[in-house]
Amino acid sequence: MSVSAVSLEGQRLPEFPDREPWIAPGCDLGWVTDRLARLSEGPAPRWWWRAFWISLLGSALLVALLAYQISVGVGVWGNNRPVMWGWDIINFVWWIGIGHAGTLISAMLFLLRQRWRTAVHRAAEAMTIFAVLCAAIYPAVHVGRVWFDWWLLPLPNSYGPVWPQFRSPLMWDLFALGTYFIVSVLFCYTGLIPDLAVLRDRARTKLGQWVYGLLALGWTGSARQWSHYQKAYLLLAGLSTALVVSVHSIVALNFAASQLPGWHTTLFPPYFVVGAIVSGLGMVLTLLIPLRRLAELDDVITLRHIDCLGKLTLAMCSLLGYAYGTELFMAWYSGNPFERFAVLHRATGPCAGAYWGMIGCCLVVPQLLWWPKVRRNPAMVWVIALLINVGMWLERYVIVVGVLERDFLPPNWSAYWPTWADVGTYVGTFGLFMTCFLLFMRFLPLVPIFEVKTTLPQADPQQPQGSPKLGGQT
Amino acid sequence: MNLEHQSPEADPISPEVARSKPDDEPAAGQTQRHYWRSLQQWAELARWDSQPQQERGGTAEAWAEPVSRRHFVKLMSASLLLAGFGCTGCRRPEEPILPFSTQPPGYVHGLSQYYATAMPTQTGAVPLLVKVHEGRPIKIEGNPLHPDSNGGTDLFAQASILNLYDPDRVTQFKHAGQPVSRTEALDTLADLAKQFAANQGAGLAVLLQRSSSPSRERLIRALRARLPRAGWYVYDPVDFSRAELAARLAFGRPVRPYCRLDQARVIVALDWDFLGTEDNQHVAIRQFAQGRRLLKPTDPMNRLYVVESLLTLTGAQADHRLVLPPSAIIQAAAFLCDRLLGPAGAPLLSALRQAGPVSDQAAAWLAGCAADLLKPEHRGHSLVFAGHRQPLAVHLAAQAINAALGNIGQTVVYHAAAAEPFETLAQLRQALDAGAVQTLVILGGNPVYDAPADFDWGRTQRKAKTVLRLGYYEDETSAAADWLLPQAHYLEAWGDARTSDGTLLPVQPVIQPLFGGLSELEVLARLGALEPVDPYHIVRATFRELVGAAQSEELWKRFLHDGFLPGSAAKPEPVQFDFIAAARATEVTAEPPPSKDALEVVFSRDLKVDDGRYNNNGWLQELPDPITKLTWDNAILISPATAQALGLPRLQPAGPDWRVPVVQVTVADRTLTGPAWVQPGMADFVLGLTLGYGRSRTGRVGQGTGYNAYALRSWAAPNFVPGAKLKLTTQTYQLACTQSHGALEGRGAVREANREEYQRQPNLALELDHPAAHGPGLAHGQRRPLYPNPLDQPGPDGRTPRQRALHAWGMCIDLTACVGCGACVIACQSENNIPIVGKDQVARGREMHWLRLDRYYATGPAASQPQALAQVQVIHQPMLCQHCEAAPCESVCPFNATVHDEEGLNVMAYNRCVGTRYCSNNCPYKVRRFNYLDYHRRPLYLLRGPVYASPLVHRTEGQWDLSRWWRHPDGSLRPKTEWELLKLVQNPDVTVRMRGVMEKCTFCTQRIEQAKIANKMGAGPSKAGPLPDGAVLTACQQACPAGAIVFGNLKDPNSHVAQLKRQGRNYVVLEWLLTQPRVSYLARIRNPNPAMPDYVLPPLSRLEPEASGRQPSAES
Repeated sequence: MSVSAVSLEGQRLPEFPDREPWIAPGCDLGWVTDRLARLSEGPAPRWWWRAFWISLLGSALLVALLAYQISVGVGVWGNNRPVMWGWDIINFVWWIGIGHAGTLISAMLFLLRQRWRTAVHRAAEAMTIFAVLCAAIYPAVHVGRVWFDWWLLPLPNSYGPVWPQFRSPLMWDLFALGTYFIVSVLFCYTGLIPDLAVLRDRARTKLGQWVYGLLALGWTGSARQWSHYQKAYLLLAGLSTALVVSVHSIVALNFAASQLPGWHTTLFPPYFVVGAIVSGLGMVLTLLIPLRRLAELDDVITLRHIDCLGKLTLAMCSLLGYAYGTELFMAWYSGNPFERFAVLHRATGPCAGAYWGMIGCCLVVPQLLWWPKVRRNPAMVWVIALLINVGMWLERYVIVVGVLERDFLPPNWSAYWPTWADVGTYVGTFGLFMTCFLLFMRFLPLVPIFEVKTTLPQADPQQPQGSPKLGGQT
Repeated sequence: MNLEHQSPEADPISPEVARSKPDDEPAAGQTQRHYWRSLQQWAELARWDSQPQQERGGTAEAWAEPVSRRHFVKLMSASLLLAGFGCTGCRRPEEPILPFSTQPPGYVHGLSQYYATAMPTQTGAVPLLVKVHEGRPIKIEGNPLHPDSNGGTDLFAQASILNLYDPDRVTQFKHAGQPVSRTEALDTLADLAKQFAANQGAGLAVLLQRSSSPSRERLIRALRARLPRAGWYVYDPVDFSRAELAARLAFGRPVRPYCRLDQARVIVALDWDFLGTEDNQHVAIRQFAQGRRLLKPTDPMNRLYVVESLLTLTGAQADHRLVLPPSAIIQAAAFLCDRLLGPAGAPLLSALRQAGPVSDQAAAWLAGCAADLLKPEHRGHSLVFAGHRQPLAVHLAAQAINAALGNIGQTVVYHAAAAEPFETLAQLRQALDAGAVQTLVILGGNPVYDAPADFDWGRTQRKAKTVLRLGYYEDETSAAADWLLPQAHYLEAWGDARTSDGTLLPVQPVIQPLFGGLSELEVLARLGALEPVDPYHIVRATFRELVGAAQSEELWKRFLHDGFLPGSAAKPEPVQFDFIAAARATEVTAEPPPSKDALEVVFSRDLKVDDGRYNNNGWLQELPDPITKLTWDNAILISPATAQALGLPRLQPAGPDWRVPVVQVTVADRTLTGPAWVQPGMADFVLGLTLGYGRSRTGRVGQGTGYNAYALRSWAAPNFVPGAKLKLTTQTYQLACTQSHGALEGRGAVREANREEYQRQPNLALELDHPAAHGPGLAHGQRRPLYPNPLDQPGPDGRTPRQRALHAWGMCIDLTACVGCGACVIACQSENNIPIVGKDQVARGREMHWLRLDRYYATGPAASQPQALAQVQVIHQPMLCQHCEAAPCESVCPFNATVHDEEGLNVMAYNRCVGTRYCSNNCPYKVRRFNYLDYHRRPLYLLRGPVYASPLVHRTEGQWDLSRWWRHPDGSLRPKTEWELLKLVQNPDVTVRMRGVMEKCTFCTQRIEQAKIANKMGAGPSKAGPLPDGAVLTACQQACPAGAIVFGNLKDPNSHVAQLKRQGRNYVVLEWLLTQPRVSYLARIRNPNPAMPDYVLPPLSRLEPEASGRQPSAES
């Protein structure tokens, strides 16, 4: 593709900041379409099959273990009294945290006109949906009598009627999660429509044409459609951003509405939102860094993207550190000995390892991201992201188990160990997550085709020729 | 309470029960009804019932099962026969039956009946009322009418109902291990009887356990007359007879002491665990609590001095506690005699002095104690007594002191005792060794397990040609017996007994023997070919003999109805202490104090399984030991300092799952290995071993629990033995302990004060609230509760629903009275169908008790030294759902499954519960229990992790569980025999909860509702006012021998509970959370003597540092 030259003689070319391009030099619009659509066309690469079978095995494990747990009882897990919530809720909060960042990264960055989001936001959104799916398994099956879960819905009934307890944060959670999931799916799907049209147009099989055609909702790319589309997308982005904050605040209220020292604190909602962003960023990086190598997307997801994500991670981790500090300060400042004990216990009691691990992984290690060299070293960023995931898991462990194992009366103090079924179920959720994610990238464009194009110099109306210095084509 | 009783020869029950006639079965669809009108006719039907199944067609499989439902029903219908004898309600067959057309007198369908009976113990009996529902006994309660009872019981009585329905009981008569028919076994007994009648009982030896039954005494008397050459032997592994022996020697006549603890102001217990392991614990607890019942600060209060070596329940109540090795307690007794006896006691004193002097520290303590005893106001109001473990000399010393202090006739009285012509186990062994025993009859007991290790009883017993055993379980002794006769439970057979004060009680059966078992009386009668053999007639004959034939009929009815014979208590005998005789009987040798290389082993009766007889009782096995809080095992108890000296690894409490080192204990040439448990409050260089565990043959429940301490016990030293060595092995053992943190951590859950403080400041308890309540802006009244009660919203009439309610239920627990015996826990378990979960689940922290006893150790600030840990103070606190008015559990449940009712109950709707478990997380008292694994339906072996059998792939009795479930949704993963029997013990008024459901204390809401219904039936529905005080007793309250738990209506200002709550001692736990619990506690008041060297003010728990992140050091 070439752009016809316009005579610019006598005119001064606008000054462009000396910036790295978002997409590697030499990539034109056609290349982008070919490259990104190729992921879902043609035979799947060998690495994909390998990853897929392993993930499918993990999903099978999940199904088997859930059948075991549901047929035997919650006792197959390590939960006890007083630690009535264990890995089930830890993993729920962990997955939901991951599930929050995707939409947040996508929607918030969209609202803030961060153009670099284009390369990563679809992956993040897909991650969101599947993480929420994994998360939703836990509250659904961790209850004692799974088959009565539907009682949580305020359905008309003949029992009096008996309604759910609207004062319970678990009740709010259902609605918050449900709304969030629906909006996330809508948001992701809306973003997909123009790309689905591309796939439809490129499809070689009847089935492909038919399915993609159906999903593309008759997209033709007319100006009128684009105008509607952008309005809708903007609205959904605004809604999603608000929802992300509200949903994770409500997850935080699951804890904060109780009266346990260590849970009952007003800090929790913002603390959880920040934590969710951190864990989501960690997961996005954990997924994308190997993926850009495996799927040969280095030119689309460039070091500059990773650099940006790194900066964002650093900012969020520092904010999280601030929350940790506030927790300590408030425990001291409250003058409540039970609060103080709860905080001291975390740092010195049986869960001290988890506590210091959390501080190390979520606060100390990410400080390495201050150095541009680290941020631009994918291997190092990947290790840091992995540690952040671990740290965020430990944070939830400290919050759930660390508080429950030492509450008000010393005779109730106890200890908690997970069982093999706990571990297996957790591993299984990874299987499910990866299975879904791999299928998504196999059949849908994981990197938004049309949006990436907007970051190309060719797409910039202010620069009809593109910047020669930066590799624009003449 | 509904006291129902069918008078003996009154009209027989005449229910018009219709049954299809046996011989001419009508065509299907039409049933020819035949009514029976007399018991004789019914008996014929019952006889027809026992004919082989083939003769009358029908399903044969139901009869092949030993305990199928049908079989049970058959037994129960037979029990109607006994109804006329005033013993039982009736469980009717299910299918061919119609409702009564005429109700039996006093019978209301669905309403339980109560029968008075008694549980015999070694030296007495527990007077009981048994609740019978549709013919099956389901709950045991104390008989409040009995003059020496307040309706409280001990935990054994509460738990004994589970033994009745134990699937591991002996269910068949057996010869050489093979089942034989009952007739065959009885014929053998008849043959033996003929043989002995011919040779005057030559070669017959009968081994018995002690009993208070007058009928048994009478039978044995008769048998001795008939069979003069037979030998009569008695053996009890835990022998309580030493005090009686001492009294016999010191007073020169057969008398036995009876302590009246309620009369004593100063009590000195010399290794005397009267609140725990001595017999008749429930009487002692009641009397002791009566002596410290404080209604106002000026009320008198007794003072308890305890000298002991282990930490016992009595030691936990002590105001002053001196810890000495068991062999040194005689030195303490000698010291006290020196101070207290005066010149008359010189000969006894010089004999006692051989024991050697006490240490200076102990001397100061004992001198203070003696000075207190000598105070003029305590003359005649003190009591010094020795425990069953102590040698005769200590008993003599204690009784001499009582004589010197003028206590005899006041705090201790002597009743006439039967002459004791029984011979001992050692004599039986000699006879067996000499080949003089042809036939050995063992009635009860389990000597192969619990006889002294040096007797090698399993082999010794075999020296008899024929061993005939009446046994309840197929245990070690049954295995070494030729004939095994199933023993009847005391609820299945007639008997009688005397309580410790001598009152005569009937032991009325309330159910026909489930497996055709025999009672001791019947076996004895058959053995002597005495007539009648029927225990009922035996007991009646005894009764006639005791009260005289003239007035026997009327009295007998009264006797059965009330459950005791009024005025039959023994009269105190005038006695004179003979110091010379006592001195002559005193044999003392000085023992060197125990040391690291020569430890002293103490054998103690277990608080839960007794001497091993309750080993297969799941409720008792799972009850946490009141002191150690261990379940399902016994451990070798070692003091912290000794553990350090012996190099035992220091343990960190890590929840309920403890891995402890296994140690090997050697005494002489005998060894045993067992888990070591570091126990604060014990004497140094002493090992505490509890009996009753480590059984080689027991039922499914008791299997694999603990180690066998009998392996170290010899005939010469059954109670404590010096010179033991301890070796640490490399193994470890898992123990399940329900409470891993014992320190109060300054959290004020238990509030206590010394008596002087309390008198100075009657509202002290209120001011001991946790400092959190006094933080900025947190003062009382300034805050709203976090979870306000929705029922506090006023209605249209301006009153809230709670204000409109007739009742406001509340409970008050007196921590000064509570001794932590655990009877309430078992009573609650029995009343509320609480399942046991097994050791593995307890170790995972999932026990289900709705009511638990929190045990705190208080060591004060000096807790870091192991030496200081000998001086622990112990506090027990019953902890149950506090029924908060502003309940944190209610508003977090998304399913609305736990809600408040107008009368203040925090109600749990099991049907609505889905099991998010948030309520438990938010409960500051952690009193909610979650049924993690269908504990009712799974047998114990399926409750062991880490892999649990899933019904998807598991088979039971050759059937896939899913298909079993499909066919019988109410079935279980238990074998049918076990399930059918265990179902019978459930209280029909309480839901049997399934898995995945949260459960907790309901304040026995079923009892409240029953009382309300009864009230309405009496007054008419519109007029029924509030229930009178005392109309509802919760199960725990009913069982508490101390009367520590009081429940009632707070709206009635005159109710007992409302009065108690007005006391200055009243407080609620975690008050500053503003949950406003309906359960409150009365602060514990200690009564230490300021003149004592170990006096501390305030109690140690208040000197404890506040909780910090550290591990409490009192733990190991």
